[in-house]
Formats: sequence, C-alpha cells, structure tokens
Amino acid sequence: MSGKEVYLDSCKTSRLASEVLHAMMPYLTDKYWYPGSFTSIGTEIAEVIEQAQETVAHSMNAKSEEITFTSGGTDANNIAIQGILQANKEKGKHFICSTVSHPSVLAIFQGMEKRGFEGTYISANKDGYLNLDELEAAVRPDTILAAFTQVNHILGTIQNSKAIRNILDQSDHKVYLFMDSCEAYTKIPLDVEELGIDSLSISVHKFNGPKGMGILYVKKGTEIVPTQFGITRLYKLKPGAINVPGIVGTEKAVELAFTDFDKKIGRYRELQKLLYDEIMKRIPDAVLNGPPLGERSPAHLNVTFRYIEGEAIMMMLDFDNIHVETGSACSSQNLQPNYILMNTGRTHEESHGSVRFTLDRFVTKEDILKTVDALEKTAKELRRRSPLGKKEQ
Amino acid sequence: MAIKYSELVIKHFKNPHNVGIIDNPDASATEGSPACGDQLTVYLKINSETQIIEDIKFQSYGCASNIATASIITDLAMGRNIEAAKQITWKQAADELGGLPPIKMHCSVLAVDALRSAIKNWEHKYLGKKIDDSLSKKNIVKELQKVIYGKVGVDIVSLKLLKYIGIDDKKNVLLEIAIKKDDPFLDDVKHEVNERMEKFPKIASVKISLV
Repeated sequence: MSGKEVYLDSCKTSRLASEVLHAMMPYLTDKYWYPGSFTSIGTEIAEVIEQAQETVAHSMNAKSEEITFTSGGTDANNIAIQGILQANKEKGKHFICSTVSHPSVLAIFQGMEKRGFEGTYISANKDGYLNLDELEAAVRPDTILAAFTQVNHILGTIQNSKAIRNILDQSDHKVYLFMDSCEAYTKIPLDVEELGIDSLSISVHKFNGPKGMGILYVKKGTEIVPTQFGITRLYKLKPGAINVPGIVGTEKAVELAFTDFDKKIGRYRELQKLLYDEIMKRIPDAVLNGPPLGERSPAHLNVTFRYIEGEAIMMMLDFDNIHVETGSACSSQNLQPNYILMNTGRTHEESHGSVRFTLDRFVTKEDILKTVDALEKTAKELRRRSPLGKKEQ
Repeated sequence: MAIKYSELVIKHFKNPHNVGIIDNPDASATEGSPACGDQLTVYLKINSETQIIEDIKFQSYGCASNIATASIITDLAMGRNIEAAKQITWKQAADELGGLPPIKMHCSVLAVDALRSAIKNWEHKYLGKKIDDSLSKKNIVKELQKVIYGKVGVDIVSLKLLKYIGIDDKKNVLLEIAIKKDDPFLDDVKHEVNERMEKFPKIASVKISLV
C-alpha cells in the first residue's frame, strides 16, 4: 500500500474521531466508575449518562427517556423488532419488511418467521424506492409492525418515511413503524416526531464514534417487551454492564456530527458531486446506481464500471491505499451478487462491476481526486485485460 | 481465519503475464459468461508439426484470482506440447500460486477449462478430432467435476455430493445433489451446475433435486 490512506467506506465503519477518543479516555482510566445514587462517583457518572441521552435525544427530536444505549446497530434492531413483535403478538403475527432491507434486519425477520410470525416483503423500484402501493396492499388486520431501512446502504435511497407513516395510519389499528437509521443518522436530518417513527436503530461506529455502540429509540407508549434479561441498572430493554466510555464517546460523536450540521451536509454534497462529476467526465461506461445526486443520501455514491469486475477494482484501489466496497459476487461470502442490486433490476454483470463510495467527516477533496485518478488508471488497465467492451481506450 | 490471497496471487494480479489477444490465433475458447460473473478467453498459436504452444494469451472479465489463475495457466502452458498442456490441472494451478482461498477455487477451474477447450478446438480444426458433447453420464460427470463447492474449494463429484444422474429418452436430465436447502452456497452450486449443463447442445431440460 502506498500514500496517505483514503477511506471511502463509512457505511461499513469509520475512523474514531480524536475528539471522541479524548472524551472517552478519562472514563477508560481514572473515571472507571458506574452510575449510582448519593455517592460522588456514582452521581458523576449518572449525570454524564443523562447528559449523553439528552444530546442524542435532541439530535432526533426525541425525549431523553426514549433513548437506550445498546451494544450496536444489530443489538438495537433485535431489541426493537423482537420486542415489539413479542409484545403485540396477541393482536397479530404479521409484519411488513422489504426486499431491499439491510441483511441484519432481514436475518431477524427470518428468525421470527421460524417462531410463528409471518412477513410480507415489499419490493422497490430501480432507484430503491419502496413500492408504496404494495405497502398499502400489504397492511392486514393482523399487521403489527412495518420495518424499513431509512437510507439504503447499497443505493443511497432515502425512503419517504412520512408517506409510509400515512399509509400505516390508514389502518384501523396501530401499526408500529421501525426504521433502521444506521445509514441515515448524521447524513440526513432526522426528526422522529415529524416522520412518525415509533422506533429506530443507529450504529455509532459509522459516524466516527466507538465500535460496539448502538442507539435505540423507542417512542414513549410503544408496546414492547424486553428480549434480554439481567440486572437493569439503566434500561429495561438493555440489561447488563454499562459501557460508560462508549456512551461518552457516542455523545461526543453525535455532538461533532450535529455541530454546523447544514454546513457538514453541504460539504458532503460538494464532495459527492465532485466524485460523481469526475468519474463521469474521465471514465467511460460508468453508470450511477440509485437515485440522482439531489435525491440520494449526500454521503453516498454507487457506480457500476461496465466490462470489469468490482473485486478487482477494489483490490487495485487497495494497492493505492484507497478503500471502497463492491457489490460483486466475487467479493461476497456465498458467491452471489448483491441482492439489493439484483432486487432493483440490475443484471448480474451490473452488480458485478459496482463500487460503493461512502463519506465521513475525514474525507477531503484531495481524497476524492486521488480516488478518481486511481479509478481511471484501474478501469483502463482492467478493461485492457477484459474480453468485454470496446477496446479503443 | 482470515481469508487472504497469497503473495503470488497478488503478484500475478498486479502484473499478469500473457494478457491480450493473438491476431489470427490457431485456436481460441471462451469459458464463463458475464451473466455468470466471470469470463475468460484463451488464444493459442500452436506449431502444427511439433504441436507445441508457441504463444498463448488471455483476456479476463473477472476478479483478482481469476486474472491471477489465467496468468499462471498461460505461463504453465507456454512452450509445452498440447498433450502436456492438457494435463495441467486446476489443483496444480492453485498450488503454483501458493494456494487459493476455497471460495476462489472455481477461478482456477475456469482457467484450466478455457485452456483445454482452446486445445480441443485446435484438435478439431487441425486434426479433425470430434468434440464429444453427447449427453452421457460420463460426460455429465466430467462437466460436474468443474463445479466447485465454495465452502471447501473442492468439486461436487470428489466430495460425493453428486448422488445420481438420470437421463430419460427425451434428454431430460435429473441430478440429485446432496446439499441442504439453507446452505449458503446452494444458489451458487445450482447456478454453476446449470451453466455446466449448457455445454450439452442436445439436452432438453435439467432438474436439480436436493437429497
């Protein structure tokens, strides 16, 4: 590997911000205590946690008591989905999900189907937008939960949460709306009240926070039962040891992400446009996957480079210390092309040559230009080796 | 365990040998297809008197290991008599590269297959040898020996996952394969089997039954 690292894969994970590490350090060393009442050390930690909950709640227009810190996005997904389904099973056993949901969410629903729940998976159009007429038709008298991915991690599509809520509200009974907001949070504005979201999950390491931390929002009044049992020091839904340094780090990462939020989003949009424009200008036969730039998540781009394969592109970039993700079957664990690209009408070949670029606060203009230089060189070289496509370049 | 490419795979991927096209080749063959995820074309120049491969080139639409295995295969075949070149196996190609991750073993199968097909095409063209694509159990086994079960990197025939081959009068083929319904590699195996069975022009249908 050579040169300064360029990391364009925040959707997988991201660098811990130094400010976050600094904030966490005292709680990993001198202030190793647990929250408690009356004692000086106990109350200090209790206040720190309360403050963190408030900061997080404020960022999404929620109430402090509606926030639970979990050990990751998957943990939050499980607590919410399983907890809501179990709590409402007397009312019905039907849930609605989609064919373009994140695999970690689909895995929970597959598990719940084995436990007697029944699901309807609604499809999406070529840009990844859910087919809302299918949603309308899918709601049944026994539907208790609908769960979707707010920003699609493969296509960058922002789902219309309000429209989804409106459809669910047409039902004569309560249908809870859960959003996997792991790719949405800190990248688009998120107001749980305005969007009518009952519960959502967030993964902290995707926005320069610590790994092993998640945020669960559950609207007050939601019927939910715990899925884990133990000593409930803070949260009835999440018993067990309290990761105080993780909570402090989460608060710092949230604070950093939401300070000058509009400016940060504007910066993402600029970098995204630069990356897109330069690719389209300099590399022939490149095709955008997902919605156009103005519509999609500002920190997300997915492009198919025709006639060449994504793992080879990813490896070539890796040699230049540039890190991206691909939807190629060659890079998957079961040799199958990415199901979201396939479920939104891409061919195997289009999925094969797809590369995803996701931004975070550390990505610079220089990083983008270095990436496009490397992509241009890589595409030329791999196309020289390929039996497909035109040969003039 | 971390899955990684050997240094030799990386070396051959970075700077593959014998990439390109031979103008007016004596024979060529393409294996795989874009729809299947990888495609490889091998071009040959063969001395008709000595039957020695005097030049070999390839083009690959595929991943790093696809390109690396094509590179090593062409190195191994260059300068060899066609009979010797036909003896090159996919295991040998993988060994020459310092090993391949199990999930990538199918890449070396594709490379060997493309080389052998190109030689067969040459033999057909210059020696008048018949290409045997008849629908027999023996030929089906031969083709299914090229289907790699990605979890362990070994073909489904050697692993004894192929339990039964049935061919009826109307050329419908029934294959019984011992693989579980929830096996993560099931779709890949099915895909590969169907791709391999396309080699038989006279086949009416293929049914895969899981046992």
